[in-house]
This record gives sequence, C-alpha cells and structure tokens, in this order.
Amino acid sequence: MKKRRMFFHMITASLMRRRSRMVVALLSIAIGATILSGLVSIYYDVPRQLGAEFRNYGANMILTATDGGFTSADMNAGRSVIPAADLVGAAPFRYENIRIREKPVVAAGTDPEQVKATSPYWLIDSGEWFKNSGELLIGAKVADSFRLKAGDKIELSFTPEEQQKNAAENKAVQDNVREFTVSGILKTGGTEEEYVYMNMEDLDSLTGKADRIDVAEFSVSAASEKLKGYVEEINRTASGVRASLVKRVTASETTVLSKLQALVLLVTVVVLALTMICVATTMTAVVAERRKEIGLRKAIGASDGSIIKEFMGESMLLGLLGGIIGSVLGYVFAAQVSLRVFSSSISFRPLLVPITIAVSIIVTGLSSLMPIRSATEIDPALVLKGE
Amino acid sequence: MFGRMIGGTLFRQWKKMLMIAFTIALGASLAAAMLSVMLDVGDKVNQELKTYGANITVVPKASSVLSGLYEVEGEQSGAYLREDELGKIKTIFWTFNIVDYAPFVNVNAKLDSGDEVKVVGSWFNHHMALPTGEELDAGIQSLRSWWDIQSGEWLNEQTDPDSKGAMVGNELANRLGLTVGSTLHVAGAKADDTYTVRGIFDAGGDEDEQIYVQLNTAQALDGLEGKVDSIDVSALTTPDNELAERAAKDPKSLTVAQYELWYCTAYASSICWQIQEAITDCVASPVRQVADSEGAILNKTQLLMILITILSLIGAALGICNLVTASVMERSQEIGLMKAIGAYNGQVSLLVLTEVFITAIIGGVVGFFAGFGFAQIIGHSVFGSAISLRPMVIPIVAVLVFIVTMIGCIPAIRMLLRLRPTEVLHGK
Repeated sequence: MKKRRMFFHMITASLMRRRSRMVVALLSIAIGATILSGLVSIYYDVPRQLGAEFRNYGANMILTATDGGFTSADMNAGRSVIPAADLVGAAPFRYENIRIREKPVVAAGTDPEQVKATSPYWLIDSGEWFKNSGELLIGAKVADSFRLKAGDKIELSFTPEEQQKNAAENKAVQDNVREFTVSGILKTGGTEEEYVYMNMEDLDSLTGKADRIDVAEFSVSAASEKLKGYVEEINRTASGVRASLVKRVTASETTVLSKLQALVLLVTVVVLALTMICVATTMTAVVAERRKEIGLRKAIGASDGSIIKEFMGESMLLGLLGGIIGSVLGYVFAAQVSLRVFSSSISFRPLLVPITIAVSIIVTGLSSLMPIRSATEIDPALVLKGE
Repeated sequence: MFGRMIGGTLFRQWKKMLMIAFTIALGASLAAAMLSVMLDVGDKVNQELKTYGANITVVPKASSVLSGLYEVEGEQSGAYLREDELGKIKTIFWTFNIVDYAPFVNVNAKLDSGDEVKVVGSWFNHHMALPTGEELDAGIQSLRSWWDIQSGEWLNEQTDPDSKGAMVGNELANRLGLTVGSTLHVAGAKADDTYTVRGIFDAGGDEDEQIYVQLNTAQALDGLEGKVDSIDVSALTTPDNELAERAAKDPKSLTVAQYELWYCTAYASSICWQIQEAITDCVASPVRQVADSEGAILNKTQLLMILITILSLIGAALGICNLVTASVMERSQEIGLMKAIGAYNGQVSLLVLTEVFITAIIGGVVGFFAGFGFAQIIGHSVFGSAISLRPMVIPIVAVLVFIVTMIGCIPAIRMLLRLRPTEVLHGK
C-alpha cells in the first residue's frame, strides 16, 4: 500500500515540478487525441450528412400503378414500408390534360409541402408556392406562351370523359370550368416548366374524379442496397403499385458518395498517422531529456523495472489526461464542423471516448518506452557523465 | 568560427537534429498534403458529379416556348438547331469547362405492328476535330453513365460509321421480344429503315420505351437532315452566388465591372449565355436538378475539407512547436557553458536560431515533397487522377513552417537568456 502511494507521489510530483514541460507534452497529446476523435466522428457521420445533401437531386424512388392509377391508400401502404427517419418526402402526382384559352396543357395535382421536400431544386421565379385552393403554379414555358405572371387570374377547362363522346359527334360539349389565380412561376430547366401545378383537391374538383394518383415520387435517404430492399418490400406487400428506383439519381449517387467517403477516410488515415507520429516524437524528446535523472536513480540503486514502471506510469497518466481532453475537444470540433457544413447536429458516440483514451495512452506509452529503455540499458556512470 | 560551430552541432548532434527535422517534415507534409487536396477537391468532385449527366440543355428559341405545348397535340414544332453549328459550343470563352455534349433529334415513327415509337438520334461516341485544332470525343455513352447495358454493347460511330445499329430500351425490347441481333423496321414521316439491335439498356426512366440510333439515320426518317432538336451539355461550373442569380435573370442589369466578372466566371448562367451567343436562335438553360445540387454538394465538400485542413494545420503547428521547444531546452548545459566562457546572449540566440532554421529548411523541403506524395496517393486512390500542384501551397507551407518554428524557439530562447551559467553548470 505504502509502495503504491509512493509511486503515485513520485509521478504526480514529477508532473507538477516540471509543469511547463509537462504542459507542452500534454498539449501535444491532447491535440493528437482531438484530431483522432474529431476526425473519426466526422468520418462516421459524413456519409449520413452527405447522403442528405444528395437528396437535393430529387426523388430516387417512384411508385407507378400496375394498371391505370392507384389511390392514396395504396401510396400510404407503400410509404409505410420506409421508416419515417429515412423518408425525406413523398409527393403524389396526378396528370390530366386540361385547356387554357382552348390550348391543351398538362395539369398536375400534387401536395406542395411534399414537393418542396422531394424536389428542393424547384425555383419559384416570381410569386410564391401554391398553397390554398384555387391557386396555380405554372411552369415558365407555359407562362411565356400565355404571357401570364404571378397574380393573374385564368380559367382552366376540362372535358370529362362522358363529354368527349359528344365532342367526337360534334354535339355541344359541357366543359368543367374553374377560375384559378397564378401564385407563382416555376423554373427547373426541365419538362416541369411545361406543366401547371395545383392542389390535388382542386384537380379532383375540376375533373370530377377523386383519389387517383398516377405517380408518387419518394425521396429516401438510404444507401443503394437498402433502397433496393425497400423497393422489393413494396413490390411484395403493396397491391396496385409498382416501385422502381430512379436510376439516374441512385446510380450516380452511389458513385459520387462512395468517392467522397473514400476521400474522407483516406484524409482521416493520413492525418491520424502523421499526427500520431508527431505526438510520438514529442514524447520521445520529453523523455530523452531526462536521461540524467534515470542515470542518477540507477546509481542510487533503483532497478530497471521500477524505473521503467515509473516513467511509463507518468507517460500513461499524461496519455490519459490528453485522451480525456482530446475526446471532449474532438466532439466539440466535430459538432462545429457538422453545424457549419451541414447545419445539423452530430450524434455523440460514447464508444469513441474509451478508444481515444486507449489510443493516446498506447501512443504515449510506446513512444516513451524506447528512450527509457535506451537510458536504462546504459551504464549509469556514462549517463551521468553526459556521454 | 560561427559556421564551424553550427556545422559541429549539425554533424555531432545529428541524432537530435534529425529528430527535429523529422518532426518538421511530418508537420510540413501534413500541411502540404491537406492544402493540396483541399485546393483540388472542388475540381475533382466537380468531375465526379458529371455522372449526373448534362447540367445545361439547349433548345431552339421558337420551340422553347411552344414545344411542350405542341407535343401534347403530337405536332412538330418546326424549329430546329443547326447540326453544322454544334462544333461552335467548343469555341466559347469557357470552352475547357465543356466536358461533353450530345445533340438529339426525336422522331415519332411507326413499327410494322402500327405501334407508335419514339426514335431518338444522337451521338454515342462521336469524334470531332474542332476548328481550334482540338479533338474531342463526345456523346451519350459518357453523358448517360447511369444506363445499364443489359445485353449487347454501346453503339460506336468511330468503329462503325455506317452502322444501322440501334439501342433499345429494355421495356420496349421486352414488349416486342427483341434481343441483340434481331432486326427492327420503323417508318418515319419521310422514309423508313431497318435497324439491327446492338444493345438493350435499362435507364430507369422514359428512355426505356425508346429506340436510340445514330443522328444521321434518325434525321433521314423525318427528312430533318442537318437539323437537331436539342443539345445536352455537361459543363464544369462554379456554384451560383447572388451575382450569378441576378445575372441569370437579366445580364443587362449588371454594371460593366459586374458583367465582366460574371462573364469570366464559369457560372452555369454565364456558360448558357455564351452558348446562346455562339449558336443561332437558341435558348440554353441550366437543368436546375443537376446544376443546383452540384453547387450544394461542392460547397459542402469544400467547406468540410477546409475545416479538416485547419484542424490538421493546428495539429502540425503544435507538434513542431513542442518539439523545437523541448529539444532546445535540452541543451541548457551546453549553452550555459558557452555563456560561462563569455558568449553574449545575442550570439547564443543567433547560434541556436540558425541551427534550428537550417534543420527546419531541410525538414520543410523533404516534408513538402512527402506531403505532395501523400496528396497523390489520395488523388489516385479516390479520384483516379493526380492532384495538381498549386503554386500557392509552397509559400503557405513555407510561411507556416517558419512561423511555427519561430514560435517554438521563443520560449526556449527566453529561458536560455535567463540562464545563469553558474547554476546550469552546477547542475541545478
């Protein structure tokens, strides 16, 4: 018991007396540990965060009807397969041919809140998103050809199926007509600019048909293997719908995301390796400086074992302190990076704390072992003489 | 004498000096590697993002307004781009940023069964000799990298110039029972033709119902020789900022200086503008789905790399600083002796500084090249291409090593100046 107390006393006294030197060593270990825990947290979190960024490319899964159309109940059945945490958005679309000033245009009924989630790249050039009943978002090309701007009122007409027979027989046609207000102009650079968008209920009331969906776009934040699993699951369980992946988005995402992950991994490995060597050289220098002290102890009768034990204890105590400081600072760094780059919080990984501490103890221990051994192996007289 | 003393330290105490040089080399290599990767990561990721396909589409001016509407009625809009102008895309100011492009001509043709089918003419791997003397291979083989060739192979104009080959979408192929090698007779408005199926692809979109053939054979079907419906362009672009957004709405609203800045930056909107200048009566517009997301991902990746670089620079700096302090302090006895035999503080400091800096220069140079090597490892294993050497990395690493070594020396020198030779020599 007494011996152990003496051991601790010697270690702490040595740390306290050589305060400035020890602070330097501690700082170096702590920064090494910070880099370790910070980069590893980032490495584990980056795929998830970057995956979320890739959802900017829009829907990566679509549901189509096995025949004709499907209902919102069918869509929800498919949707329930995907866990809520993975689902960024699920937008139903229904397309109908309507007419504006007797010219045919494709109108789509949808849910604006879900479209904002599935297609974040849609730019409302002027005006705003449609929200209320009677509001219409028109594509830029439609707006150009009809010279429409936000705030204009236009009439949309639709010929119901039973009336189309009359049209074919040149009889009077009873169109469904409804007035809409243009809420905004949509720019995407794609075919969406040729359509007009409105709430699903408005399209239902205009066409007189309810609860029919042509296509549902899902934006799912998951790796390609998992996505394939969801598609199979939906196709197996849900009736009336067929799920398929949007290959352009999923295939490209897999390519790019795997490169980015490899980048972060390699950077992490290179930085960690170099930092750990840096910590090791600092520790070596700090211990090598004390060759004289080692020689003196040997001269007054300390055994090699007890000297190694004491010096190692000291280094490992430094490693422990540095590891604790580093795991805290590393988490702070990773959280800051996550906040600044991806504007989201990072999950705390409790396992990383013991790993960081263990690694810093091992690195400091190993790097001081070499100079201690070389000092103990030499004749104390030579060491003391300064050779 | 001064030179001999320095030489003596460097040679006789080479083990200690090697340690300092090694640590400085480590720090410098870390800084050089991270800076090189960080400065190049934007370009590299931009290249990777090209797998998402074209980010700019070019359509004729007249049809950009009406084609969508007329298509519903199944009519042709009557406005086309000129095939002979396609090479002009590679003559614009940002020509080196144009990675790839392909023209398209769409023909509604009839099969023998009477079914309507969309035949698309395009370039697959088209070789172009440009007026500038440059050569370029362009086409949808690289623009549609996500197409999965289920059987057969890509068409290739270069190996097979007069081919009547066709690539068929897998849904259409399944419906018609087509396999590689079967023939397909289609009739356009002006002519009809028989194709041999060379490949069946799965694109996961509307293309799965279409037939892709070479540009000239599709043009012949509808009598559209020399005409093109649209062009897909894949360009390396800089993420949009406020200036680019303003310019995209109306370039004339900018001041002259702003216009120059915008025109000479590779924004999607300025490349579109330049394409419009080069090609008669066209409208080029960025595909927001691709252009917008590219910008977001590029910005995030760069910011991430910057933050990691800053952390590793701090790590490198502290590592160097610590070791320099530790190793100079270690020499207190030697320095005490010098002071005892009459050396001035200034002389001693100068001696120590010179020794450390000679070591630092050697370590820094070695470290810089090692770091550049690490950057190449990262570049080759992640992106499969070399990381280019940016001239600005050299001064940054040099200044960093200089300042950090200096800072590392300061506490040591201060301590040396405070040393009383008697105390040191006495062994206190």
